[in-house]
Amino acid sequence: MARHIAQRLMISFPVLLGVLLIGFLLLQVVPTDPAVVVAGPTATKAEIDSIRQELGLNEPLWIQFGRYLGRVLQLDLGRSMISNRPVVDEIALTLWPTVELMLACLLWAVPLGITLGTLAARRRGTLIDRAIMALSVMGVSVPVFWVGLLLIQYVGGAGLLPFQGRDGPIWSLSGFLSIVLPAVTLGAVFVGPVARMTRTSLLETLGADYVRTARAKGASDWRVTIRHALRNAMIPVVTLVGLQIGFLLGGSIVTETMFAWPGVGRMAVGAITSSDFPLAQGAILILAVGFMVINLAVDVLYAYLDPRIARS
Amino acid sequence: MTDATLSLQSDADQRAIAALRRKNAVWRRILRDPAAAAAALFLFLIVAAAILAPWIAPFDPYASNMRLRLCPIGSDRCAAYLLGADNQGRDMVSRILFGLRATLGIGVLAVAVGGGLGALIGLSAAYFKRLDQPLMRLVDVLLSFPSILFGLAIAAVLGTGLFSLVLALSIAAIPSIARIARGAAQSIMQQEYMEAGRAVGLGDGALIWRYLALNCWPTILIYMTLQLGQAILLGAALSFLGLGAQPPTAELGSMAADGRKFLTIAPHVSTLPCAAIFLVVLAFNILGDALRDAMDPKLRQ
Repeated sequence: MARHIAQRLMISFPVLLGVLLIGFLLLQVVPTDPAVVVAGPTATKAEIDSIRQELGLNEPLWIQFGRYLGRVLQLDLGRSMISNRPVVDEIALTLWPTVELMLACLLWAVPLGITLGTLAARRRGTLIDRAIMALSVMGVSVPVFWVGLLLIQYVGGAGLLPFQGRDGPIWSLSGFLSIVLPAVTLGAVFVGPVARMTRTSLLETLGADYVRTARAKGASDWRVTIRHALRNAMIPVVTLVGLQIGFLLGGSIVTETMFAWPGVGRMAVGAITSSDFPLAQGAILILAVGFMVINLAVDVLYAYLDPRIARS
Repeated sequence: MTDATLSLQSDADQRAIAALRRKNAVWRRILRDPAAAAAALFLFLIVAAAILAPWIAPFDPYASNMRLRLCPIGSDRCAAYLLGADNQGRDMVSRILFGLRATLGIGVLAVAVGGGLGALIGLSAAYFKRLDQPLMRLVDVLLSFPSILFGLAIAAVLGTGLFSLVLALSIAAIPSIARIARGAAQSIMQQEYMEAGRAVGLGDGALIWRYLALNCWPTILIYMTLQLGQAILLGAALSFLGLGAQPPTAELGSMAADGRKFLTIAPHVSTLPCAAIFLVVLAFNILGDALRDAMDPKLRQ
């Protein structure tokens, strides 16, 4: 197990370095000269030069990159060019709303997807199966923003639920109401893949020997499906949910932007379109690192669920 | 086949013909599924409409007429505009036709560039055994990374616009095509004619191009086509966020974003481009599912 985790970390390391390089590059394209900013408007050229020397801006890029890595390790990501607040503080504010949105989405979309997938597998080939599968392919084809626009138009526009921003934490009533539409939007594109994966995986396990044994023992149809087949079919579904975290991340960036949800994704898009390079650097960095951490966690969980993975 | 003078080249030809026959069988099986046949027909019409947009569009997609601003569908005010007018009084039919052209064009370009690179990586990995591990590791990394982050990072470094968009979509298309190409090429690597080609003194380049690439391209091309749905969806999302095509360009994602402000008074301005994206991607996905079923004998019973 430990070796498995170590291997996974080895794969993640070059990616992390690549992401950091992009972050570093982003700070290089900042149009203003940091030395000029530090020196102030009345500084002479000689003063600017000495500050330039002091800040290490004359050194080769790879040394500057090393310094950048050191700063990132100390959680110093610079200051936003627009709000002038530390990027780390800005991220800290937006991190929880994003996590909250993703959890709220998973909480309804995954159980629904598994239920629909099980139903489709049990009634394979019937109208129910076809309807669920048609729904699932529609789910993966629909642009997230269309689901959001429709909900805003018909539910938000009718004044039934709020659709602008986050109104407190999820456990308060106003906070809960404000997360409903974003969570439904994001989850709508997630139900389909989960249902489909559950169906495929369940159809495979339903044909397995131990399922036949269970049937021979006289267990009822649904008992066989749920107790014997579904539990084993869950392994690929867990992986799928893990693999789709990236997909979810993409969806959440769009959803947050549409619903003015104060998360990392919306902040990243805002920073990029307003050329706030330090903030964009921080936001992309945290999105990438967050994604890698979740991936690693899913991988470990997968190895725990199915010990054959870690041993191979 | 009994011809003793059968040359290498004609042997390869025979195999190519057999492969093509298999492909035809796959296509026939796909088209027997009514949903897939409908999707194929729909895509054919959409692609034709996108290509012919400059000739079949009833109006100039950029000619605005402020008197017809947000004119709804079927209103007498803009009877000539079958699907109404947008927030600048531009004809929606023409804008959607040009939007399809841009959206599909961006997708095709990106999948062609990314898929081409992916194919090169896949073929090289299959041919040069030493490169297999490192190249496929790289592909795994690309595959595991959410494509939308490429979009964000590239837009942040190079600025927003069509070039960044196509670049991001191209990178996103590389890994899956690389895997398919590698798989297809590996089965050909085991064929005797590869050995024969080497024995008559053909170089690596000739072997890769004449034997591997020419035998793999039908499979790769099919998968590239199916990849288009995903590329279109991602491209539209990035444009919707304002990181891709910029207004006033008639591109479906940015049109949807543009019409968002008028959702309550003129929903058709953003709904129509959204519906167009949905239908095109849906058609690609239905076709893709049918292909997967047709090619995977385990699921076909």
